[in-house]
Amino acid sequence: MEILKVESLTKSFKLSRKQQKTEKTGLAIKVAVNDLSFTVNKGEIFGLLGPNGAGKTTTLRMLATLIKPDSGDAFVDGKSVVSEENAVRRKIGFLTSELKLEDFFTPNYLYGFFSELYGVEKSVAEERKKKLFEKFGIDRFAEVKFANLSTGMKQKVSLVISIVHDPELIIFDEPTNGLDVLTAKVVTDFLEELKSEGKTIILSTHIFSLVEKLCDRVGIIIDGRLVALDTLQNITKECNLETAFFDLYYKVTGETL
Amino acid sequence: MKNILTIIKKEFSRFFRDKRMVITVLLPGVLIFVVYTLIGSAISDIVGVDENYKPSAYLSAPSGYSEFLSLHLEPKDDFTEESAKQAVAEGKLDVAVIFPENFNEAFDTENPPEVRVYYNSSVTGSAAGFQIVNMLLSKTNRPAFTINSSAQKFDLASERDLTASITSMLVPMLMFSLLASACISVAPESIAGEKERGTMATMLITPIRRVELAIGKILSLSCFALLSGISSFIGVILSLPKLTSGFVGVDTAAMYSVGDYFMVFGIIISVVLLIISAFSVMSAFAKSVKEAGTLIAPLMILIILMGMASMFFTASPSIGLYLIPLLGSGLAMASIMSFSASGLGVALSIISNIVVSLGLVVLLTFMFKSERIMFKK
Repeated sequence: MEILKVESLTKSFKLSRKQQKTEKTGLAIKVAVNDLSFTVNKGEIFGLLGPNGAGKTTTLRMLATLIKPDSGDAFVDGKSVVSEENAVRRKIGFLTSELKLEDFFTPNYLYGFFSELYGVEKSVAEERKKKLFEKFGIDRFAEVKFANLSTGMKQKVSLVISIVHDPELIIFDEPTNGLDVLTAKVVTDFLEELKSEGKTIILSTHIFSLVEKLCDRVGIIIDGRLVALDTLQNITKECNLETAFFDLYYKVTGETL
Repeated sequence: MKNILTIIKKEFSRFFRDKRMVITVLLPGVLIFVVYTLIGSAISDIVGVDENYKPSAYLSAPSGYSEFLSLHLEPKDDFTEESAKQAVAEGKLDVAVIFPENFNEAFDTENPPEVRVYYNSSVTGSAAGFQIVNMLLSKTNRPAFTINSSAQKFDLASERDLTASITSMLVPMLMFSLLASACISVAPESIAGEKERGTMATMLITPIRRVELAIGKILSLSCFALLSGISSFIGVILSLPKLTSGFVGVDTAAMYSVGDYFMVFGIIISVVLLIISAFSVMSAFAKSVKEAGTLIAPLMILIILMGMASMFFTASPSIGLYLIPLLGSGLAMASIMSFSASGLGVALSIISNIVVSLGLVVLLTFMFKSERIMFKK
């Protein structure tokens, strides 16, 4: 059963003269995401792979309702990201380095604040907070200002805050970036745990091993287009994911190393 | 040496290649020109009306002088010298001009006769009347007479009226400046700061309605600025006797009634709401706290000028002027301070501020919804 249905999602940005020069194009508009369509099934981990600037983050931002597509639509559990933004916001969690937490506040305060914004009942929020804070070891730092936490602890707090409302679909954009191996493991273990709870996860990353370890299906985006969409098993039938990705990349762009 | 040039080149290219930076640096000059010109022409219009004003006058003057003065004054005959002075003190009559008896005969260069002109400096029309009489008498051919040379009190304004007139001029200007400073210390940090730090985006992916975010921000920021506003007002009122040392001898704070203070408080709330809303809109448009400061600078000047402009309208402003946001508040505040408050004027000034603030809340809501404004790098 599909929980996310992406239909012909397209988004373009205006390019300045300087950007046109850098990109060696005479066009004033860059199509960042071009007619993207895919579906994500309930309970799976869907990997989104692609080089920098391929349109992954733009796609995720559209799914998270931060920006609107020029055309096309996406439906989270039947709700449109274009016309039913607030319903979508209740159903998804989004973890990305772009979304920051206020340095001045403590994890405890931030958890309460975002639970209220998502309309989580107080007793439910308290119970979930206790569980999540214990799991990630945040409880010992619950009253420490966010600014004074270590990078790893900050990421753990951001992760916990992104799921205060127990969303059905969770979008993780490079969730292990900049983390040491120990913290990265805690995060990847948690993704598996979420999957075992029946949650659906979209994982955007550059780390092939992470995709191989966690993902059920993979979509590969190059130059704003979806160039491959299959199960991990099918994509890695003949070679490992990294080789498969590079083969595809050279085929699509015509570039060679 | 070479590195100095390298740094200068880098700074120049950072500055001049950033259109927004260039515009925000040059914009204040353009806006100041526009605002000064507009206010200047508004003031000259008002002054123009005042020039046509014929002050009412009791004239006890020899014929000839009486006719001459009547060309520019509105003679009132139903007074005696004493009742005329009383009327001037009460603000019911603008000037009383008393020539000595046998003026035409009393030609004595050693001991020139004195023309006494009584006026009330706390009443705009009376102060203008005194100037007109002075000017007219100096134009007469007869050389040897003096005006108000003896050691008696010709300015019949009571100490209370004088205090009120000074207070009514100073309070709006001081309060507007202090309120604007209070607002600029909170609004950019809370809106442009959150945008710059990326914490605004975290709120924008939650299901909070954008209008709730806008109202929540504006109300809380207004409370902070209001606290500062109230403390400023108390400070201004209590320090006024010292600030105007010599002019004001009465206890300013005790001159006004509880009702007056309530009205001033109401005006301050509406002014804070309006300034915070306007600064919030500018802050939402800016990409950083620094840019917000630059964008708000011209507005600050406008607000302070509005506070100053209310000084020029103290005579008896038409009720329509109260509908101009901020200017109306300045006028209303001045009218309360000079004991000539019009309830309707005060109410209109508060309503106009609130209506404009609501419009700005709607604008801020749309800005929070706009990805171009909220997320453009």
